[in-house]
Amino acid sequence: MSEDTNKHGHKWTMVVDLDKCTGCQACVVACHAENNVPIASEEEVVKGRAMHWMRIERYWEGEFPDVKAKFIPVFCQQCGDAPCEPVCPVYASYHSEEENVNVQVYNRCIGTRYCGNNCPYRVRMFNYRAPEFDAPLEQQLNPDVTVRGPGVMEKCTFCIQRVRRGAETANAENRLIKDGEVVPACVQACPTNALVFGDKYDEESRVAKLVPNERQFKLLESLGTEPAVYYLKGGETHVGE
Amino acid sequence: MLESNAQRGPYWEQTTPEDERIAHQIEHGREEHLLLDPRPPAELNELALATMKKTGPAFWIAVLGLGSLSLIFALTWVTQIFNGVGITGLNRSVMWGPYIANLIYFIGIGHAGTFISAALRMMRMDFRRPIARAAETITLFGLAMAGLFPIIHVGRVWKLFYMIPIPNQRDLWPNFRSALFWDMSAITTYIIGSTLFMYIALIPDLAMARDHTDGWRRKLYGALSLGWRGTTGQWHKLEVVSNILSFVIIPVMFSVHTGVSWNLSMSVQPGWHSAIFGPFFVVGALYSGVAAVIIVMIFVRKVLKFGYFIRDEHFNAMGIFLFILMIAWVYFYFAEWITNWYGNLPPEVAIQEMLTGPLAPLFYLMLFANIIVPLVLVFKRVRTNLPAMLVICIFIQIGMYLERVIIVAGFLSRNELPFNWVDYVPQLPETIITIGTLATLGLLYLIWTRIVPIIPLWEVYEGQAMQSTRRVGRAVVSTRTDAH
Amino acid sequence: MTQFTRRDVLKIGAAGTATAILAGCSQDAERWVELEPYVRAPEDQLPGNPTYYATTCRMCPAACGILVKLTNGRAIKIEGNPEHPVSRGKTCARGQAGLQLLYNPDRVTTAVMQEERGKRKFKALAWNEAINTLIKKIEAADGQVAVWTGSTTSGHLYDLFSLFTDAIGSSDLIRYDLYSAINGYAALTTISEQLTGQAVLPSYDLGHADAIFSFGADFLGTWHNANAYGVEFGNFRDQAYGKRGYLVQFEPKMSITGAKADKWVPVKPGAEALVAQAIARIIAEEKLGSPERIERAETLTPEVDLEAAAAACELQVEDLVTFARAFAEAEHPVALPGEALIGRTNSLDALLAVQALNVIAGTVGEAGSMMITPSLSGSEMQPAAASTFEQVQTLVERMNAGEIKVLLVHGANPLYDLPESLGFAEALANVETVVSFNPMLDETAAYADYILPNRVYLEGWGYEVVNPGFQGLPVVSGQQPVVGPFHDVRATGDVLLTIAQRLDATASTLPWTDEVAFIKEKITNLPAGMYGGDDPDFQWARYQQFGGWWPETAPADPITADLAQVIEVPAAEFDGAEDEFPYFLHLYLPVLLSDGSGANTPWLQGSPDPLTTISWQSWVEANPKTADELGVKNGDIVKIESPNGKIEAPVYVFPAIRPDTIAIPLGQGHTDYGRYAKERGTNPVNLLGTTRDGKSNTIWAWSNVRVKLVKTDDTQDLAVYESKADAAKDAHVPF
Repeated sequence: MSEDTNKHGHKWTMVVDLDKCTGCQACVVACHAENNVPIASEEEVVKGRAMHWMRIERYWEGEFPDVKAKFIPVFCQQCGDAPCEPVCPVYASYHSEEENVNVQVYNRCIGTRYCGNNCPYRVRMFNYRAPEFDAPLEQQLNPDVTVRGPGVMEKCTFCIQRVRRGAETANAENRLIKDGEVVPACVQACPTNALVFGDKYDEESRVAKLVPNERQFKLLESLGTEPAVYYLKGGETHVGE
Repeated sequence: MLESNAQRGPYWEQTTPEDERIAHQIEHGREEHLLLDPRPPAELNELALATMKKTGPAFWIAVLGLGSLSLIFALTWVTQIFNGVGITGLNRSVMWGPYIANLIYFIGIGHAGTFISAALRMMRMDFRRPIARAAETITLFGLAMAGLFPIIHVGRVWKLFYMIPIPNQRDLWPNFRSALFWDMSAITTYIIGSTLFMYIALIPDLAMARDHTDGWRRKLYGALSLGWRGTTGQWHKLEVVSNILSFVIIPVMFSVHTGVSWNLSMSVQPGWHSAIFGPFFVVGALYSGVAAVIIVMIFVRKVLKFGYFIRDEHFNAMGIFLFILMIAWVYFYFAEWITNWYGNLPPEVAIQEMLTGPLAPLFYLMLFANIIVPLVLVFKRVRTNLPAMLVICIFIQIGMYLERVIIVAGFLSRNELPFNWVDYVPQLPETIITIGTLATLGLLYLIWTRIVPIIPLWEVYEGQAMQSTRRVGRAVVSTRTDAH
Repeated sequence: MTQFTRRDVLKIGAAGTATAILAGCSQDAERWVELEPYVRAPEDQLPGNPTYYATTCRMCPAACGILVKLTNGRAIKIEGNPEHPVSRGKTCARGQAGLQLLYNPDRVTTAVMQEERGKRKFKALAWNEAINTLIKKIEAADGQVAVWTGSTTSGHLYDLFSLFTDAIGSSDLIRYDLYSAINGYAALTTISEQLTGQAVLPSYDLGHADAIFSFGADFLGTWHNANAYGVEFGNFRDQAYGKRGYLVQFEPKMSITGAKADKWVPVKPGAEALVAQAIARIIAEEKLGSPERIERAETLTPEVDLEAAAAACELQVEDLVTFARAFAEAEHPVALPGEALIGRTNSLDALLAVQALNVIAGTVGEAGSMMITPSLSGSEMQPAAASTFEQVQTLVERMNAGEIKVLLVHGANPLYDLPESLGFAEALANVETVVSFNPMLDETAAYADYILPNRVYLEGWGYEVVNPGFQGLPVVSGQQPVVGPFHDVRATGDVLLTIAQRLDATASTLPWTDEVAFIKEKITNLPAGMYGGDDPDFQWARYQQFGGWWPETAPADPITADLAQVIEVPAAEFDGAEDEFPYFLHLYLPVLLSDGSGANTPWLQGSPDPLTTISWQSWVEANPKTADELGVKNGDIVKIESPNGKIEAPVYVFPAIRPDTIAIPLGQGHTDYGRYAKERGTNPVNLLGTTRDGKSNTIWAWSNVRVKLVKTDDTQDLAVYESKADAAKDAHVPF
């Protein structure tokens, strides 16, 4: 559904300022804590099965000594026209009308992994094995988030449990959600405020103001996935050159 | 000028003409062409039934060998269900691997059977008659194996019924927009259709077997032959049903492999997202399928000793068919490749660099097996030489299997974000499961040859009955009567 | 509830306080959280609705204020405390992982003893028995008791230990661990004292700075307070009118700070201070910037031959001039003295040369410049001083000489932290009784006779005088239990007070019934803070609610720096001849595992290092050229030999490191410390010697080692997150 035709509900949106992202992994660990994402063992990582809903990709540019490292946090882009949604044969991957995000129904997922292949951002993580939490580490698990079993696809949800709780609180108080009232765990942790979260339909929100920015771009925009994640290109200050 | 020999008694009682040259021509025609070499039905029945009843030590050794492989496969699968798909080498980028490649492969070899049977039947190609059932059997078991792979592949096999549109409390339907759902529907239709098609054609032969056996076989065949008595009405209905099914099954056949290819091409994965994938996969499937049928024909002729039914003319015809398919496949492959190469998109360039880089041994072996080796099929001596045909067809099987693995697991390892290029390395479980399913296919085939007549005898009779020789001037040519 | 506003915090805190105050008559309920069954739930508690407690993070010494989210009595998430002047609502990766310390499967669950050290055959002890035994040992030691604390030992506990050792006549109180050594706590405190008279760590208001010249300070990774500097960096890049500042990083191996720098300068190891001096000299000679700056630059810098200096740094003179101009013409330039300088043999002079740039800038104490947090006026609460390496060595010598009968270890792991060449293990063998208070079985605890596990910080009480402070505010960060003790563990403060009451020498100096009484007394004696009030109970409740005490506004008169002498920096000396040991060894604290104290949590082990993307492992970073020279590729194991020892580790080819340098992250190579840390990777500390700096002879010159690499035939599969495909290395960057 294109963002223009769906004007009801919210358009939860993230703006990632690459100029501020330091690659410090605070968001990554915060996401693990909030969303009960299991940690892949060393053997699994070697096999290429590291599991993070939020990852910081690092690209090199240039050669020593003029080498530059570029960080880009990549997580589910909550596409407005998501390639993962139509391919799921059992509707485990679907678009939520209210929040306008791409949601994964873990109970419904049968593990065809079609969505995982079809995600150009490769942000869908498959539980190749049963998640393990050595007792008593499981006591830390967030009761608001399901622990996914083996054979299930999972991914970033923009911390929908927080969004829903925020919406319910606002509803109970008979008001609208305020900008900044609800943020995902990564945004809350991010020391440099490189991540900004909000409702793009709310014209006064920070994201709505950040999106029309000359540094703004969408990741793999040419694919037409209409991501709800906007990146702001990193800059460079030149002195005396 | 034309002198028909048809009126002189039953066709197998035709005498050799006195003219030596003509007699030689007829003799030659008999050697060459099955349909010109009629034998009494009783003799043919006996030939077919004797093979069915014969279970020597070699048979049991083969059953034991293939059976153990199948058992290991089953145990590996159970292990996978309990431990998760994690026992394979799949990773965060390559989420589909050999299981999907196997699915495509098995559907591919399952293709040719029905194609040979139905399409050639439609086009009234007589060389199909003795090989039709051997080919259809490949379809049946190939599809059965292919049907296993989605089940093996999924992460939660116990929830697989979610894919089936069954009434449920929450009114949840499967997603009709998913190519996987189309594929599942197509495969299911194809399995049902080709089983029906095969079964219909099997009835007269089952009735024959019922009449010539006793004990459990008689009971089994009695039940399966549905009271076939060979009345004109029954033959007529058989003819009508077979023709209808032939026409119906061909589009279904196209849909199946197109559906499989759409699983890949409907995605945005670089290298997969290509409009040519439908026909390309259909041709590829026929290519590997016809090669598989030829392997089975060699097996039927040499191991089951059906030299009478399956002759050089059949290998010749199939060889030509294979050669044409090879050319078609090369055309599609080239068209696909040049589009990607000319497009020069970074991920697709990466795929090409991978194929000519780290995967070069596999890639060039695939091209060698699929293109270079079958070139020798231009020679008739090669087409009628069984060892040569076996080698060529095995090469094509390897080549086409590699092609599928490269497309599925290889292409997935190169995607839009280079950070996520994770190479796939096969592990033991999927290797066991792949080999195990091939063994299961062999096992089923082996047992099948002892249960049903693998040669459609009635089709051979029919063909032979409709054949005759005519003299055209000095030459004796075989022809088909249009009498029926 | 996810993002906190000020109002929310008041509301949240009040809930927690209400429970505490209502139950005020019972001391127990005031001191720890009780788990209640649902049927007797407090009226304000709804199952499924979380409650929040403000406390202080102790994953590193920085003391960020955090809020811990509890659902039904279980701590499930850590967030930054938005009111806290240090963390400002943010957390770093390590801070998030604190929960896995609390719920660590390998915690020591009760007091234990072992007959033979290192055998790991533990016998559970009743706490009373353990304490009684300890009292007897301390009595028998007759003052020959040493206490070894770490930089994450809570401030109140350090103060208690300090009172205790004073009372029993011992002078051996050490506060030392790898983190504070690598980050130069002792060295930088010395410099600050020299410049400003305040014995605290310098802090830098990067958020308002125009140009940052960081001399190897990985302030976004592990330098002093990565979280607070992260906040500052975010502000630095997001200043008014689109100004985004200019960051130059001088370091031999790219850190994440280097990755974010506008200019990354791989200066030759040992020559960093020369860059600082050259910049100052150019300002003086070329008359750059304001007359005051030129004048100060002239006073502070010796004659520098620019050509020679540039050659020694392997830079161009034009580059230096560019830097000098950028520095001199910026309104608020800052210079950060980082790890790369701290460990050199010319440490103190080099650090001073960098700090001199801040003096030249003339903005010390202003926004956007170096700031020295003033001490708490009218209070005796001071940040605990870090011990110097000299003090450590002295103690080790005394241990060797049998002059120490009882060694108490808290919050530190010297057996892991110190290089083998120091001989701590041998010295430990000469101590009659070793007691560890660590909640985990770390290397030192495994060689202790008794382990009396402390509560982890989420279960325990404490305060910490924040050092370095931020925003110019002196902060006493408060720590309170957010959950009841998870195991049969006791607060070391309580154990110590119990012991003190039974010893004649200490009964009067340590009169408190328990540590809470001690903390409460300290806190309620603080001057009026931002929460106001003069009733002690009110102050105490507010202190807990806000997670600490700090003044409403920063003191009006900022502390300025004063320096008026020419700084001569001798050349850094390196251990090992260049022809035998061709590479400089660059050790660094990795972003996640830090000094190894985070190695026992799956989250930190399993999350990828930002630049190499390796998790769970140790590695050696080598330039592609170096790797070619050695004929090694990713995953090939090399033997790294220094004059002091050798280790083995797999190579990771890293494009952003000098070809004459190799870098190894610290933090792995534990032989104990729980299942996630144990026998994983290698500990490069053992390559180091025990050289001290040339000037004061007190600071550990840990970064003065040259090494050689020998290829072995072994390989290891690297647990990298990035693509292993060679093609991915020079692939088109998709954004």
